[in-house]
Amino acid sequence: MILELHATPEEVMRAVETLEQFAQAQGVPEKTIFGLTLALEECGSNIVNHALQRDARQQFQVAIEHTGDDFIIELRDRGPAFDPTAAAGRKPQADPDDVPGGWGIQLVRRYLDGIQYRREAGENVLRLIKRLGGPAGPKSIC
Amino acid sequence: MPLEIQIEKGADGPAAGTVTIKLTGSLDTATAPELERQMVSCLAGRVNHLVFDLAGLKFVSSAGLRLFQVARKQMVARGGGQASFINMQPQVEEVFTIIQSLPGIGVFKDLEALDRYLATRPSPNVWPGTQK
Repeated sequence: MILELHATPEEVMRAVETLEQFAQAQGVPEKTIFGLTLALEECGSNIVNHALQRDARQQFQVAIEHTGDDFIIELRDRGPAFDPTAAAGRKPQADPDDVPGGWGIQLVRRYLDGIQYRREAGENVLRLIKRLGGPAGPKSIC
Repeated sequence: MPLEIQIEKGADGPAAGTVTIKLTGSLDTATAPELERQMVSCLAGRVNHLVFDLAGLKFVSSAGLRLFQVARKQMVARGGGQASFINMQPQVEEVFTIIQSLPGIGVFKDLEALDRYLATRPSPNVWPGTQK
């Protein structure tokens, strides 16, 4: 399933609702669906707010695929090159002045089993992978 | 999924200064701006205890967590103010746990737990029900 979306928060949530319905129809456990939808919301919002600067004329793409034991979400945008996985190693801070911008990728890391980034033909391509054979909830917090 | 926001302000007397924000639905990139608008409005008055009732909140992302963080900082900046959370759904509590980013925020299982906590606080503003 491929969705062409405009760069608005409402379109991000349209993709999230589509993902939720698709995953429910595939029999994916609710707890896993929560993690998948959260990951898509965070990554989609990042594209809309940062890569495409909330310019509703701009578009990005979300592809959703369920193959065997893997559930895969692939996001493509034509914004400036940005690798969110490069910032994924930062640990959340207990400092109340912590910048929230890094929280999204922390959540994605916890709920998913793989995040792959590549720059391809002028596009950011972010591939989110959840192995359905694994635990449904977030990974343990280290 | 939309977000329903209900705001209840404590009446004069023991509950004065307490505002409860009840959230139902999804707090996400599309709905967070409306909550932010309503929070700015309600925090403009005399508020020293902000309670978020999350019994009906099914989904929260970092866009929502950012608002909770803003609320906490504003309450602390008022000197002795506090933000509390009650009735979290398990999946929402998990998100809080992962971020571990809201130090100083009281997280309570329900109103009774909040009542017990507030009863021990040396605050002039007491949650209704703690005064017998």
